[in-house]
Formats: sequence, structure tokens, C-alpha cells
Amino acid sequence: MKIRSIKLREAHKNSNGVGSFCSVLWDQQGEHIVTASSSDSSICIHDAILPANPPKVLRQHRDGVTALSLSPNYTCLASGSIDHSVKLYKFPAGEFDTNITRFTLPIRALAFNKSGTMLAAGGDDEGIKLINTIDGSIARVLKGHRGSITGIAFDPKSEYLASVDSIGTVMLWELQSGNTIHVLKGIAPVIGSDFSSANIVSWSPDGELLAVPGLKNDVVMYDRDTAEKLFSLRGDHVQPICFLSWSPNGKYMATSGLDRQVLIWDVDKKQDIDRQKFDNRITCMAWKPTGNALAVIDIMGKYGVWESAVPSSMRSPTEDIPGLSSKSGHGLLFYDEEEENPSVSGSLSDLGEGSQDESEPFSRKRLRKHHSYTDDWEEDTNEELELLPNVEPRKKAPHGHRDGSDNKRNKLKDVPLSTGPKMQEAIQPGATPQLPGKRRFLCYSMLGSITTMEHEGYSHIEIDFHDTSSGPRVPAMTDYFGFTMASLNENGSVFANPCKGEKNMSTLMYRPFGTWANNSEWSMRFEEEEVRAVALGTGWVAAITSCNFLRIFTEGGLQRHILSLDGPVVTAAGFKDELAVVTHASPPLPSNEQILEFRVFNIRTGTQPRRGRLPLTPGSCLSWFGFSEEGYLSSFDSTGVLRVFSNQYGGSWLPLFSASKLKKSEENYWVVGLNTSKLFCVICKSPDSFPEATPKPILSLLDLSFPLASSDLGSEILENEFIMNNTHLHRIQSTIEEMEAAGEDTSLLDDEAFNTEAALDRCILRLIASCCNGDKLVRATELVKLLSLEKSVKGAIKLVTALKLPNLAERFNALLEERMNRETTGGKISASTDLKGDNSFNAHAALTKSHVMVESSKRLELQDSPSLNSLAPCQTKKRPLEEPIKDVNVEAENAKARKLEMAREFKNAFDMKNAKKVRDEKDKVDEVSNAREEDEVKNANGVEDAQDQNGEAIKVTAQRPSNPFAKSSNNKPNTSLFDSLKKKVKADR
Amino acid sequence: MANQSDNSVAFSAAELEFLAEDEMVEIVPNMRMEPLNLISGDFGPFRPQIAAQVPLWLAVALKKRGKCTIRPPEWMSVEKLTQVLEAERDSEKFQLLPFHYVEISRLLFDHAREDIPDIYMVRSLIEDIKDVRFHKIGTGLEIISKEVTYALRLKNLSAMEANIVRPFVTKALQTFHKLNTTEAIPESGSIPNRQRQAVNQRDKRVLKGR
Repeated sequence: MKIRSIKLREAHKNSNGVGSFCSVLWDQQGEHIVTASSSDSSICIHDAILPANPPKVLRQHRDGVTALSLSPNYTCLASGSIDHSVKLYKFPAGEFDTNITRFTLPIRALAFNKSGTMLAAGGDDEGIKLINTIDGSIARVLKGHRGSITGIAFDPKSEYLASVDSIGTVMLWELQSGNTIHVLKGIAPVIGSDFSSANIVSWSPDGELLAVPGLKNDVVMYDRDTAEKLFSLRGDHVQPICFLSWSPNGKYMATSGLDRQVLIWDVDKKQDIDRQKFDNRITCMAWKPTGNALAVIDIMGKYGVWESAVPSSMRSPTEDIPGLSSKSGHGLLFYDEEEENPSVSGSLSDLGEGSQDESEPFSRKRLRKHHSYTDDWEEDTNEELELLPNVEPRKKAPHGHRDGSDNKRNKLKDVPLSTGPKMQEAIQPGATPQLPGKRRFLCYSMLGSITTMEHEGYSHIEIDFHDTSSGPRVPAMTDYFGFTMASLNENGSVFANPCKGEKNMSTLMYRPFGTWANNSEWSMRFEEEEVRAVALGTGWVAAITSCNFLRIFTEGGLQRHILSLDGPVVTAAGFKDELAVVTHASPPLPSNEQILEFRVFNIRTGTQPRRGRLPLTPGSCLSWFGFSEEGYLSSFDSTGVLRVFSNQYGGSWLPLFSASKLKKSEENYWVVGLNTSKLFCVICKSPDSFPEATPKPILSLLDLSFPLASSDLGSEILENEFIMNNTHLHRIQSTIEEMEAAGEDTSLLDDEAFNTEAALDRCILRLIASCCNGDKLVRATELVKLLSLEKSVKGAIKLVTALKLPNLAERFNALLEERMNRETTGGKISASTDLKGDNSFNAHAALTKSHVMVESSKRLELQDSPSLNSLAPCQTKKRPLEEPIKDVNVEAENAKARKLEMAREFKNAFDMKNAKKVRDEKDKVDEVSNAREEDEVKNANGVEDAQDQNGEAIKVTAQRPSNPFAKSSNNKPNTSLFDSLKKKVKADR
Repeated sequence: MANQSDNSVAFSAAELEFLAEDEMVEIVPNMRMEPLNLISGDFGPFRPQIAAQVPLWLAVALKKRGKCTIRPPEWMSVEKLTQVLEAERDSEKFQLLPFHYVEISRLLFDHAREDIPDIYMVRSLIEDIKDVRFHKIGTGLEIISKEVTYALRLKNLSAMEANIVRPFVTKALQTFHKLNTTEAIPESGSIPNRQRQAVNQRDKRVLKGR
């Protein structure tokens, strides 16, 4: 168990120096913490997000505040005090509302019922008052306790009330009749008159268990109906427990003891999972309703928040509450909340489960879920009943099936939920959730940001570019629509708002940054349809609506296309001509895997070049989606895995970054963009998962890396570099192919390809070295085969010779010979394979290409040696690896002769090819280089005669060596012109 | 510039500031620029909204042109400075601060005041720290007069502080030494000279090195 220290900050001055009972509460969103102390007459509402902000202080009581409770809808705060009064406040404003009741002695406990209509108050007086919160009338007084009442809890199902007093008696009351149904004497510790600790009772969020601190420093669970002792949680507490709190999902429990420890329990396993020691006794704790955090307050009035109280390896304390299951997503939480609220306002609306001074808000969801089970399982459970003779309720509950469901509970827990995990809500890449009173990002990209802040009914939107020198300066604007979505590029910005009631229709607005005409801003309104996602590209604006329509507008506002998508949209992103849209393909799997699909549209050509499933880590949701700087489609999920789409293997997603591999659990990465080797993101300190808009967050660069398995070689960095280089090379080559197909000049890319190959070879050589050191000789041999430059193979041979591995050197030599043989044969064959595609467009393209080729080779012929010499340094540059300059000089001298020879060969090539013989070369080295030139000529020749050669060509292809690619990569150190032609051959094939 | 070997002559504040300008700071540029290849090294590339490490003089130059914001160094946060101030008050020793903390903070206050959060707080904290340290130096120097001292050991002294005390301390030590040696061996004339040199050297090393 880790020992972390939790920083406590003082909320209430402890005037008398002796400990006093303090209370703490969370609000619904976990944005505020309410604290009170029995030695301080004020109540503080702290800002949980910015604890440095001064708290709001309510000074209504004349004496110490002993009890706090929030109504289940979080609009009303009740406080009880030693001054005998119970007061109500509006929350979170903190405005004093009313003195709802008075006692003759101090109050010790307060609790709201589930619907918030009733408040129970108890204390040193004789009875528990049930007060109607609407008019303040006393509905009932429950009398029976002999000691001071220190804990009250309404049953989440609104049937019972549990209470405990200072002499350790627990009583269960039936709310309808006001009768006691169970009296359990002496089960809780006796606290006497020391009110700095309190006995407490607490219902589990599903209402099936009542937890009471026991006499043996444990927590005892009692059955809901029979009040029988079911089990107890015993562990490391060495003194009696003075407070306990169920996690919102009822899976965990936090207990604090007089021994100044706080323990977290896994209730199902009856096992303590974490603990924390404090300087002073913790008198009250509250779980954050929306996250894995526990607020604590000690007897000295110091409060703090224990972040991730439940270890992150375990399920979150808010998990299993529908609507919060995917809480880690950026924008999810808030949407979920909005949707959840209307549905729960029915009969099973909110719960009033509040133990003495804390409530457990989200249990209602669990509760509702549970009810749906019990109904379904009613028939089945009746049979089960007879098998469980130990359950003999003193009084039959009004609903017959409950006993069954009670015992069935454990089994039911494992049954997949009928509601299941929720489909992810639509997100806008680079947006942050709305927080009251804070500026938020509507869009943050590599280019700039759009921020908004709501202010008295309208919003203030600012657009700024990171690069202030080149980006346009955009004046701030006032937004009366309440835009929640936005996207930005160099030319303009698009905004959209969802539908809010009848008079506030969903609107889409486009705002160009620079235009020659006035009023080129435009907007569209949508009736009975709302915009869910927007994207921008070169000259187009796209909006995807709730009707699953993809609407494409031109920059000027012309409605250009409307397409129907086949699922609800998740997000959309634009890059130049391309629009990528992610939709739901089906509801998520029960294992909480979102089933998403992506499509890429090319708006200019009106095509859909790519579509497929969008992979996500199980249990995560999409948190960012967009294009890299080079235009590769990328996605980032809530578990921190970045995936980039690649053409490899017929189009697949490569995981190029994994936050878990960095092993920095305290950091969250909020992705903004990426390029080929780096990920641009904002690093947020956990638990924040997104940055604040002010001050403007700064981008950090992280290296992309594959999530490699831990290899026995122990050189992960090299292996990663190897795969990265391979991927990079593949990308360049496919780009070259594409560009060639379009007939563009690729010389720049060819250089890049060569450099990458050289880098790859360097990396492979180092890997070979580490393989040899690690005695992995087979792997080393495999690596040698992957070397693309002949020189590198020679280098590898030198390396293994130096490492004293003669038989490996021998093997390498054999490989080198094989490769050289293949080069001479393979060159010709690859040229003739070109003929295969003779009747297609490709052949035609090649034909034109080859004409260019021939012309250029002729031109070269005419050039004299100075120009050839000037070629030489450029060749040296291209061979930074090991080609000695001397070699190049020789080559330059030979070049002229070769050119002449080439012309001859140009004529002969056709015959030679038919002969299908490898010429016997006297000067082998020279020939290898000549062969390349030959290829080029033959290539041209072959295509010209394509029609006639068809039959033979196929025969030739049959004889092609097993690895034709080996040849093509061997020939790399060639002139770019030839290179491109060779690439062409490959493309055609 | 002042002759460094002559340790009785102090640098001027401007000279020290000049030296401090070589310290590295982090900036967030708002423009795109290729790497700068300078004699002292390559800086950049500069990409908008991505932090880069540059020498202070470059940061100030860019800042003056409105091309970047300067990220205040880590030690210049209210939190850190409060800690340092407390520790400085509590302990006899000097706390570890950047050698040029006075000059760096001064330059940043002059040129990048809007980039420093809580600038008034930071400024007053640094003033306080400076005062506390000078006071400490003052009390520390009293020991020179109490006992026979040949050298002074002041760890973690910053450039500005060392600069201020240097003329006095070296002079004082020299004088003491002279008086001492003449008391002990009044008749020999050559030895004190050599010893004085030795003292000077040691002095220099202690004060300059950190």
C-alpha cells in the first residue's frame, strides 16, 4: 500500500484547541465542498477546483454547526447547530432561506429523504423530527432513543429510516407508520458525551445493506428487512470506527477510525484496499459524486481531498452508475448529466439517502437499475426463496418480490445491464467542457484557438492564432446563440449551437477571416434538427446533424451536398479537401467497447477514398480525432492511445503512442495534433484531463513510439526506431507512387526516401550489433536481409567479423552474393514486368513516362563532363553512409562512357530481354551500376513495344525472383529520374 | 570590462547583467522561424505555442519585438520563492538560487512583466530574499574581525552578492593578514608578500566558484 500524504487546509479555526466534530459535503458536480465545524458557527462553501479561492462563508448560526445535509437535487443546504436551530439555504448561492425548525437542545444529525421533500433532524432532544421541507410543518416525531441521536439515514427506497444514538442503539423505523420495526441495542460503540465523534448509520446506495460501526473496530452490515447481521468488514482499524461512507456505486466504502486512519474497503470482497494515516482523527468523509476522490475533514477543522482514493487499477467508485461509465472522456460527463436528469425526475427521482451529514447522490441510478432487474427476475426468484431458510423477516415487506431480490442480488450483479454502456456523445476535437464562470475552448488546434465564456446570457468569443505574425487578427465577438461547437482554419471559422428549446433553434454560422466582399458571414438555421459536429476545409464547411445528415456548404454559404450517414455522429475533422467523419456503427458492446466507424470524403472530387471501423482501446472512448500535419488520419482515445491510419496492410490503424508506456500516471495528455515523429499535446496534471483556457496552454512535444513488447534483446529504442523508420519509408513510397500516378515531380521525396533508407540501415546495423551481443544470430541474419543498401551489407559483414562471429560473416557473405546475383537478373525482369499492365491505363501512363525518360537520357548524353562532375557531389551527399568519395569520382568518370553505352544498349535491350540471359559480366561492380541504367533503357523500350511483347512478358514474370522488392531497394543510390521510373514499375505491378 | 584578475575591482551592475544574459530561459514563440545557428549554439526551431530554450538576451530581444512570451523560470514562482525565503530566514546557510538570480529577475521584471504571474508578489519576495541574504553576508563578515581569518567560505553566493562584497572582503583579509604576519614575524619582509599572493588566489577561487 502506498503512503501518500494528503494536504489538508484549514477551513475552520479550532478555537478551544480540543477536537470538534466537523462535516464535509460535495456538491453534484464535485465543484464545491461544503464544510462546517461544531466549534465554528460558520459554514464554508469551498471551490473544489481552485482551492486557493476564498470560500463562501455562511454566518447564520450563533453556535457551532454540527450537521450538514444537501438536498438530493443539490439546490438546498440544511444545517443543524448547537444553537438548537435547523436552517435551510439556497445552494450553491448560499443565500439564507429559512429557519425550518427549532429544538430545545443541540442538533446532531440531519438527513434529506430521496425526493427532498422531507428532512429528518435529531440530536440531544428525545425524538427525531421529520420535517416537511416545503412548509416546515412537522410530519412526525419518532421517539424511542435513549441517548443523543447522532446519525440518521433515509433508506434509498424511502421505506425505512435508520437512526443511531450515542449509546450504541440502532433503530429502524417504518416511514409510513412511524413505528419502530427493529431495535438493535448495543451494537454500535458507546461514545458517551464526547461529541467530537459520532455514531453513524449508512445505507448502501442500493438500499440493501445498512452499515453500522461495530464494537470490534469493524463495520457490520445488516440486512435491510430482517436487520440480521450479514457480514462485517474487519481489518486494520485498532480503535472503533467513527465514520463511514459508501462510494457512489456501493462497491467501496471509506471508514475512519479513532485511530486516525482512513481505510478504503472493497465491500464485495470484504477486504481493505488502501489506507491513509492522518495527524488527527477524521470526523467526516464524502465521496466525490463524479470521480475517484474522497473529501475528508479532521477534528481540527482541516479538510482535504484524497484524489484517487480507490487505486487506479481497480474499478472507479463511480463506475457502474449508468451515464458515468465512460467518465474519462472529455466532453462526456456533462452531456450525460443533462440526459440523465429528466429521466430520473419520475417516481424514482432523487434519493434522500444522507447519513448524518452527507449524501450519496448517484445511488439513484444504481437503484433504478436494480429495480428493473428485480422486476425481470421476479418469477425466477420465487423459487430461490425456499432455498434460503435463514431469511425470516419479522415483517413482510409490502412488495413480495423483494426478499427474493435480496438474495438474488449477488448473482444479479454479474448479469450484464439491460441498459448497457452508453454510446459516446458527439465531441468536437480540441474542445473542453464547460465549467461555470470559466473560459473554455471551443477549438484548440495547431493553428490557433477559439475560446468562449458565458456571461449573463450571452457569450464572449475570442479567436486567436498561435502564430500572431502570419495569422489574421480577428476581433472578438459577442455570441447570442450560445455556440458550443466550433472549428477553425486559416480562412475562417465555423460555429454551431445545439437546439435549446423551441425559440432557440440550432444554428450554424460561418465567419471568414479575410474576404473581398462585405457581409460574407453567413448562417443557417435548422428546424427539428440540431448540429452535432462541424468541420472545415479548403473552401467547404461541413455540419453533421441529429438526423444523421452530412451537410456540406461552400465557403460562401451555398448548400452544396446533403448526404445521409448511417449512424449517429461522434466527431468530424477536415483537412484541405478531405473530410473525415466518425459515426457509431452500433451500440457499444456489453464490455463497454464503442463500435465506431470512420469515413473519409474528398469534397473536391466527391469521392469517398477510405472507410472502415475505427479501433479504440476496450472501455475507452474517442477523445480526439483529426489529421496530422501531413494529412494522416489520427485518433486518440481516453486511455491515451494514439492511432494513425496507414495504407499498410490494405489500410489499417497503427498505434503510434500510448500514454501508459510513458509511465507517468500523474499526467494526462490532451492531444492537439501530431506530425510524423512528434505528438503535440498539452500536459495536464492529473486529475485534470483537459487544460484551462487561461493562461493559454503551451504545447509539449512527445515522441511517437510503438507500444512494443518488452523484448529479450533489451534495445527497445532501436527496435522502435526500426519500426518507425519502416513506417516512414512506407509512407514516403506510397506518396511517391501516388504522385507519380498523378504525374508530378517526386525528386524531393526521392531524396527523403533515400535518407530514410540510410537511417533505417544505420538503425538495422545497430540492431544487428545488439543481436550479436545478445547471441540472437538468426535475428541478425533476418536483419541483414532487410538492409537496403549494398554498402550496409558489407558494413554488417565487417561488423560481425569484428565481433568474431565467422560463421555469421559467412552467412552474410552468401546473402550478399545472392543479392548481387539477383540485382543483375532482377533488374531486367522487373523492367519487363511492366508489360503486364499493357492494356490498361497504367501502361499508357508508363508509355508517356518512358518517352520523357528517353528524351532526358538523350539530353544527358549531350551534356559533357562538367555537368557530370557536378552530379558527383550530389551523389556523395546522397550516400552519407559509407560510399567513399573516391568511388564516386570513379563513377563520374565512367558516367560519360556509360551514357554512350546506354545508347547502344537502348537498341539492343529488346533482344537481350528476349534472350532472358544474364550477361556474363567481366567487371562486375561496374556492371551492377550499369545494369541500373540498362533497366531504365529497357524499361522505356519495353513499354514502347508493349503490345507485341505481351506473351513473352508473362513468361518472364514467371521467372521473377522471389523477392522483387529486394532489387528495387538495392538500386536506390541512383539518379532520381531513374528512381522514379523504377517506382513506377512497382506501382504498375 | 574590468580586469578580472584584479579582484579588488568589482564589476558594474550592467556588466553583471550582460553576463547573466547568457543564462537559458524558456520562451513560447508566437511565430515560426528556422533554427538560429549562432556561435554559442543552435537555438530553435521556433514554432508557435511550443516552448523553446534560448539565452536570455535572445528572449528579451524577441520579447521586445512581440514575438514571444517568456516563461518565468521555475524558481521564480511565488511558491518556490516563499519556500526559499523561509529557509533563508531559518538557516545560517545560503539557499541555492541561480547564480544570476538578481540579474535574471531584474531583466524579466523590466521586459516581461506581463508574463510573470503575481508579479508584485514575486518582486517583493525577491527583494526580501535579497535583503535577508545581504543581512546574512553582513553578519557573516563580522567574523573576520573576531578571529584570525585567511579565507572566507560563502557557499551559494550569487554573482551580484559576491560582486558587492568582493572589494571589501579582499581588502579586509589582506589587511588582517598583513597585520597578523607583521605581528608574528616582524623582521621578514619577503614571506608576507608570497603569502599574500596565496591568500589572494584562494580568495578568488572561493568567491568565484559556486
